[in-house]
Amino acid sequence: MSDEARVPLLAMRGITMRFGAVEALVDVDLEVHAHEVVALVGDNGAGKSTLAKMISGVLQPDAGIIEIDGEPVTVPTPQAAAALGVATVFQDLALCENLDVTSNLFLGRELRSRWVRDDGQMEEVARRILRSLSSRIPSVRSPLSTLSKGQRQSVAIARTLIGSPRIVVLDEPTAALSVVQTAEVLTHIEQLRNLGLAVVLISHNMTDVRAVADRIEVLRHGRNNGSLDVATSSYEEVIAAITGAPTEPRPAQHAPLRSSTTAWPA
Amino acid sequence: MSVDMNTTPNLPAGERARVPLSQRLGGLGGNARQYGIFGALVVIILLFQVLTDGKLLLANNVASLFQQNAYVMILAIGMVMVIVAGHIDLSVGSVVAFVGGIVALSMRDLDLPWAVAILIGLAAGALVGAWQGFWVAYIGIPAFIVTLAGMLVFRGLALVLVGETVAGLPPEFISIAGGSLPNVLGFVGNADVVTLVIGAVAFLALAFTQVRARQSMRKHNLHAEPVGVFITKLVLVALGIGALTVILSFSAGGTPIVLVIVGVLVVVYSFLMGRTVFGRHIYAIGGNRAAAALSGVSTKRVDFWIFVNIGVLAAVAAIVTTSRAGAAIAAAGQNYELDAIAACFIGGAAVTGGIGRISGAIVGALIMGVLNMGLSIMAVDPAWQQAIKGLVLLLAVAFDLLNKRRAGTR
Ligand SMILES: Nc1ncnc2c1ncn2[C@@H]1O[C@H](COP(=O)(O)OP(=O)(O)OP(=O)(O)O)[C@@H](O)[C@H]1O
Ligand SMILES: [Mg+2]
Repeated sequence: MSDEARVPLLAMRGITMRFGAVEALVDVDLEVHAHEVVALVGDNGAGKSTLAKMISGVLQPDAGIIEIDGEPVTVPTPQAAAALGVATVFQDLALCENLDVTSNLFLGRELRSRWVRDDGQMEEVARRILRSLSSRIPSVRSPLSTLSKGQRQSVAIARTLIGSPRIVVLDEPTAALSVVQTAEVLTHIEQLRNLGLAVVLISHNMTDVRAVADRIEVLRHGRNNGSLDVATSSYEEVIAAITGAPTEPRPAQHAPLRSSTTAWPA
Repeated sequence: MSVDMNTTPNLPAGERARVPLSQRLGGLGGNARQYGIFGALVVIILLFQVLTDGKLLLANNVASLFQQNAYVMILAIGMVMVIVAGHIDLSVGSVVAFVGGIVALSMRDLDLPWAVAILIGLAAGALVGAWQGFWVAYIGIPAFIVTLAGMLVFRGLALVLVGETVAGLPPEFISIAGGSLPNVLGFVGNADVVTLVIGAVAFLALAFTQVRARQSMRKHNLHAEPVGVFITKLVLVALGIGALTVILSFSAGGTPIVLVIVGVLVVVYSFLMGRTVFGRHIYAIGGNRAAAALSGVSTKRVDFWIFVNIGVLAAVAAIVTTSRAGAAIAAAGQNYELDAIAACFIGGAAVTGGIGRISGAIVGALIMGVLNMGLSIMAVDPAWQQAIKGLVLLLAVAFDLLNKRRAGTR
């Protein structure tokens, strides 16, 4: 463990990103080791998805470096990210409504036998994966347009099980899921950690974060605003880091945030 | 024609049962909409067969149905791919005139052999497609604009190139559109044996691929359609191919050469769209371009090649058209883009992209062709013919939309 601990599997250093006048990210650092789940939290618009998209090759930072296994890399395209072993569940899911479940799972990574798609093989794998996620999907041949939001989310998550990624980025993977499904996704995340992957989990749900994350990285207005060990930090400390409030006073509504997936005290 | 039995696009909705309806129908060639189009074609054929006192299905009429409409089918194949990817191509009519001019001039003025002229034409089509594909894919200008410009540009170039009619083309070239396969195997009664053999081979090849596909589903423990349905389907296909073959074998020439060209294109492109990764990516891009890109699909490359492809197919249509006319004229191919687009939409392609099939586009083209021929035999005024075709297009798409709405998708 200690060897792996020295060189993070994924490291982002000094990441800065502007959209016109908006400073989405300013000098942000993030490290994730193998066998580690890092939760990335922050208010709406804090820059979480923007950071995730850089790991996934969707956006390129204006400044800063990304390292994988200590080697600086560029991730110019999603294909490049996949080649580097990065799998991502995007916040807006990125699925094709007109295609069926199997096609979506393998999109961009289709199996072939000679020049033909190996549809049979893909369907078989798709079934096995969905069964392992105990997802409530009627058939791997269902077009996505006939699935519920939560079922689609299961498909998006199942995509991370194809290929053998080393780094998995999940941007609000449980946002549309039932309690049962959420529990399954959390179990899935734990499995990924046990397999030695590095996982970045973006979530507004503190219960989920506390359940699976080893470390919480807080972003606020596009800047690092604290790195907290899940085992030792209190709920209030996390909230304070997110909102920028001083640590002492508890936020007014400290009730279980289980159900409120987006709203944070301003 | 049901080679593209991919299970992907547009399965019927509302399936929660253990074995969903779509799965039970899955192998049948996709979806209820697909049967709807085939059904509509059969109904229209029967209708005009009655209205024309049986003249519609006379052997020579069936042969010329294919000869007259080959260009629509060829263009519709390329167009349906463009439409599935969420684009449109308005330029194909002008490209037909432009490439037709190039082909005719290389034979008449450059004295090149007809085969070389054809290759030059195909290359010119590919270049035109690459030009438009470049603007669409790599510069990001909407295809509507690029091909609207192309429509003007290539019509203009056709006018420059073909100042006056380029006639006097070699007979071999002329026979592409009007000729038939030589009757080398003689006749049984009055029936051309070559045609009968082609029909039999076509059916056997189709049956073979279907059985193979079924076996491979079995091998992977996947749900295949019930044997009864499978056999019924094969019998229906056998009846369709059989009827067409027998009728054509009694026509003046036997099998029209253009029918062979169209047949080969249908098989090749159904395979491309239904069974290859490239085909899957076309559907993905049409369904959700951003998602496809995020998933690692090279959307620009796919867009580019789709336009190169339709450029080449427009060149094939140009060769057929020029051959049929016996000469190149600058006004050739007028409104061909509209015929091709109409065929695609009648054939079930979605305006929003992501949905559509080669077989559907061909059937759409046949529906238009049968309408044309039937109304012409009935001596209906061409002005009315046009109006009727317009209404058929509108009704076909309206029917499609209402169906979808009732099914609850979209
Ligand atoms: N493509 C873009 N163009 C312009 N501004 C953008 C773009 N993407 C993000 N931004 C801006 O960057 C900031 C960070 O956005 P980001 O999506 O990363 O937030 P987030 O932390 O994921 O929020 P949420 O919790 O709502 O998902 C926001 O101010 C947003 O408006
Ligand atoms: Mg976000």
